[in-house]
Amino acid sequence: MTAFDYTASPDPIRDDLAEAHRAAWVHIAKPGAWLTGAERVAVAEETRRARDCALCARRKAALSPYAGPEPHTATPALPAALVDAIHRVTTDASRLTRKWYAGLASQGVTDERYAEALGVAVIAISVDGFHHAMGLPLEPLPQPERGDPTRVRPAGLTSGEAWLPMIAAKQVAPSERDLFGKGPLGAAYVMRALTLTPNEVRAWASLSAAQYLSFARMTRLDTGKTLDRAQMELVAGRVSALNACFY
Amino acid sequence: MLRASVEAKQGEVDLRAISEGAKDDSVGVAHAAELTAFAEAALASNAGALAAARDALRAKAGSAALVDAAGVIGNFERMTRIADATGIPLDGASELASSDFRDALGLGAYASASNTSAAPLWRRALAPLLAPAAKKAMARFMRR
Repeated sequence: MTAFDYTASPDPIRDDLAEAHRAAWVHIAKPGAWLTGAERVAVAEETRRARDCALCARRKAALSPYAGPEPHTATPALPAALVDAIHRVTTDASRLTRKWYAGLASQGVTDERYAEALGVAVIAISVDGFHHAMGLPLEPLPQPERGDPTRVRPAGLTSGEAWLPMIAAKQVAPSERDLFGKGPLGAAYVMRALTLTPNEVRAWASLSAAQYLSFARMTRLDTGKTLDRAQMELVAGRVSALNACFY
Repeated sequence: MLRASVEAKQGEVDLRAISEGAKDDSVGVAHAAELTAFAEAALASNAGALAAARDALRAKAGSAALVDAAGVIGNFERMTRIADATGIPLDGASELASSDFRDALGLGAYASASNTSAAPLWRRALAPLLAPAAKKAMARFMRR
């Protein structure tokens, strides 16, 4: 069976979307820099579990998502603190705080493992989000590939601008120059936010080119798609507001 | 980016469509009501309402537009979480260009706004003064 076979969809799905979604699944299944393939697929699985998680629902309804001692439980593949982080990112990201993030280190979640788990989680969420919006069934998660993480940390990282170290535009090494676009948005914080794990940025950028716009088109009016730029930005803005995202 | 993309074509947009949704196209964007209703339904958990929103957008703008909109929804389900889960502040240019409407739309009430309120005082003080120029520069840039 071909992954992301959209031929049965009542609305024709563009080939570039199917290809981008397939590439996203291949990316999730491979060992990363800090997580194994099995851990990465487990991260994606937790984003789906979070949607029906009773604890997340209680936290979401609570005045403070940090009240109460109840933890999420560890899974065979992931420690409890990382499971908890993925669930919070999935269901209540706008109420994450610097203090909460700082507490992850004492629970064994390093910046690198958090960045990679976040990168995987948001890719799964965006592909699933497309399916949900279109009324399509969710694609089965991929089988993890064997292998060890590369444990390669990029050069040029700086700390203090946000919670995670990010590559500074002026210190970027040739091997990571592709992570930065041109123009006023090229080195925007959101582009740099996950540069601690460069391949996660590459993966979301490829997905973005199909689901929204490529880096090159982000500063242009022409979208190359059916919706014009204003229509795209209206949808983007409304989703951001509904997710209570200030950025 | 919404305002810049509309103003680059010499149009005007009612940005309340972002915070409140749109009732019709009078906000300055074609099919605004159907697009915002689709986004709202996609982020809620009512399958019937989502199917109805899909039908409405498809009827008004066609299947290709519906697919594009679903793509943008998926994309910003991702980007909002990247921003919120890494604690990034607004960039200087965005802060300048949006300072005039952030309060009006109530965006400062979002918990994640605290990541930007940590910006230097001089930048926050200058933002309202430089906003008109930043806004024009953004629209000009997109018109290239």
